Amino acid sequence: MSIAEKMASYEDMVGPGITACLGCNVELSMRTALQILGPNTIVAVPPGCMGGVQSVGWADKTGMKIPVFFPLLDNTASMLTGIKKYYERIGRDVNAVAFAGDGASLDAGFQALSGAAERGDNIIYICYDNEGYMNTGFQRSSSTSLGSWTSTTPVGTKSHGKTSHKKDMPLIMAAHGIPYMATASPAYMPDLIKKIEKAKNVKNGLAYIHIYNSCATGWGYESEKSIDIVRKGVQSRFMPIYEFENGKYKLNIDVKNPISLKDYLYSMKKYKHVSEEQIAQLQEYVDEKWDNLKKLCDTSE
Amino acid sequence: MKNIKVLDGNHAAAIGAILSKPDVVAAYPITPQTPLVQHFSQYVADGVMDSTIVEPESEHSAMSVLTGASLAGARTFTATSSQGLALMYEPYFRASTMRLPIVMNIVNREMISPQSVWGGPQDSLTVRDAGWIQIYVEDNQEILDMTIQAFKIAENNDVLLPINICYDGFYLSHMTEGVEVPLQEEVNAFLPPYKPTHVKLDPETPMAVDPLTPGNYLQYYRELHMAAMDNAKRVIKEVNDEFAKKFGRDYFGLVEPYRMEDAEYVLVTLGSLTGSARIAVDLAREKGVKCGLIKIRSLRPFPVDEVNEFLKNAKAIGVIDRNVSFGWHTGIVYQEIKSAISSLDPIPTVPFIGGLGGEDLTTNLMVEALDSVIKAGENKQLENRAHWLINRKGR
Repeated sequence: MSIAEKMASYEDMVGPGITACLGCNVELSMRTALQILGPNTIVAVPPGCMGGVQSVGWADKTGMKIPVFFPLLDNTASMLTGIKKYYERIGRDVNAVAFAGDGASLDAGFQALSGAAERGDNIIYICYDNEGYMNTGFQRSSSTSLGSWTSTTPVGTKSHGKTSHKKDMPLIMAAHGIPYMATASPAYMPDLIKKIEKAKNVKNGLAYIHIYNSCATGWGYESEKSIDIVRKGVQSRFMPIYEFENGKYKLNIDVKNPISLKDYLYSMKKYKHVSEEQIAQLQEYVDEKWDNLKKLCDTSE
Repeated sequence: MKNIKVLDGNHAAAIGAILSKPDVVAAYPITPQTPLVQHFSQYVADGVMDSTIVEPESEHSAMSVLTGASLAGARTFTATSSQGLALMYEPYFRASTMRLPIVMNIVNREMISPQSVWGGPQDSLTVRDAGWIQIYVEDNQEILDMTIQAFKIAENNDVLLPINICYDGFYLSHMTEGVEVPLQEEVNAFLPPYKPTHVKLDPETPMAVDPLTPGNYLQYYRELHMAAMDNAKRVIKEVNDEFAKKFGRDYFGLVEPYRMEDAEYVLVTLGSLTGSARIAVDLAREKGVKCGLIKIRSLRPFPVDEVNEFLKNAKAIGVIDRNVSFGWHTGIVYQEIKSAISSLDPIPTVPFIGGLGGEDLTTNLMVEALDSVIKAGENKQLENRAHWLINRKGR
């Protein structure tokens, strides 16, 4: 069965009529992930884009065909822990799943997520990383990369976007020693699907999937280029696609001949002002991260 | 034969909770609540306690774990103090507005700064408008009994609200007393298992919890929440009466009166300081002065009718607060009492503040307070600035 056939055989768990922006690849990622996780799932969507598009619902209407709730911005993982613990207690196997943005995961929600990972709580945590608080008009998060314009790291005569690098969340989550961690991209759907399937089968702790998602509205590019942008992110080595399973790292998409980082950066508005110096800093960051990842993967073999 | 054990307040609370068979317990240690968490851990380690225990990384997560568990259908319990409650404020507020019958004991402790770990209900009184039921108790027996009653009140279908059983840090949490421990079978007969009917996250019956909600619906939610608080007044009394009948200990529901039959001068108290106030009342009665006291047990819902009934014939009232309301020159309970009796002819009501940060409110101080109340009654003197009750030698 082809991937397309397989996906067509799964029911869509997201209701029709939700209000994501044109070309939103986060919505695509969410629909895909929930199709694979299936109806035996309780999903938490904290404040962020996917809450904002009314996946949870509006007034007395719900946006999902499965149980869904808004956690607080900062307690997604611990609320899911509570749900999962009760179902484990009564002997029912239910997927307790987060679909949370980078702000709710890397910033405000980090403590709760780290706690759940350390305790080995058996939840599935999917973080969609669009590098900022996009639902409220693109404010910086700790996942925003160096040089990026955001409404709270603006570009002016004295400032040139964000001054620090992106937090390396996937590696931090892997360092917790959880049974499964993976990065994914909607530009590489078969890989993403396989990873959600693996996460679904984890029964001995937290599974974390970090999906690199672009945002047409916030990042500033034409909406039809949504998938191209995230593919360029991968192909420039800016968004490495790898997994950490049973203590071993594996590179899933080995980018042997990367495209120029400048190409990737200049394909959208949020980086259009970045200087050669900032590009060099970003290149250094990307190279160092990639080399480190290669070493981790090599020593894992 | 009665099963009497010598227990400190935290141990009494732990036993009360365990007898109530919570499905999920999540608690983060904080002084003076810490021994309670230790008791749970030991009881689980020894196989005595059959609850799922989660060791969260903060109080914020403790309340969040229980919020999730309660949404899944679990009976839940936790406890905290002071800064822990403050850190919990975000999910604390939300547990009540989601109408989740979580039981949380608050071991009352001062808020910093200055740094203090000692007693005082400033922590829980500050969040009195977050929608939880709050019951304040006087001794360790009442801690144990009310922890059991708390589940029955919170889970009542006409209530469905989270509840705090509040007790003074160190004075009760670390002081030992003889406490009668009910048998498990007796508690089972009193407290049936929790079966949620109003909200449940279950793939078999998909439901969305907390979709974005416009003001017209939100106001309806608030209206229902306030009605549930009104219902709680009745339910607290009913549960008290049933408990009294089954276990022989009556706490009078919302307000406990002491020597109030013909009382003209009345002290109003909250929590463990009631003990020394009772002695002051006894001493005054010995001199022939008609004194009494009322102990406010339920601060939320506030027993407006009962308070009016008890105070309507008073010549003067004194309210003892172990807390402050910044921006007023009084404590918080004083304001509650004044609001409650606002439809009565003005009765001289003296606000007192003392016992902050674990300071002792001695019988002498209570006698001093009662003397001021009698004087205010005789002079028909209306006041609204707190008298400080201070042990002079310590300052």
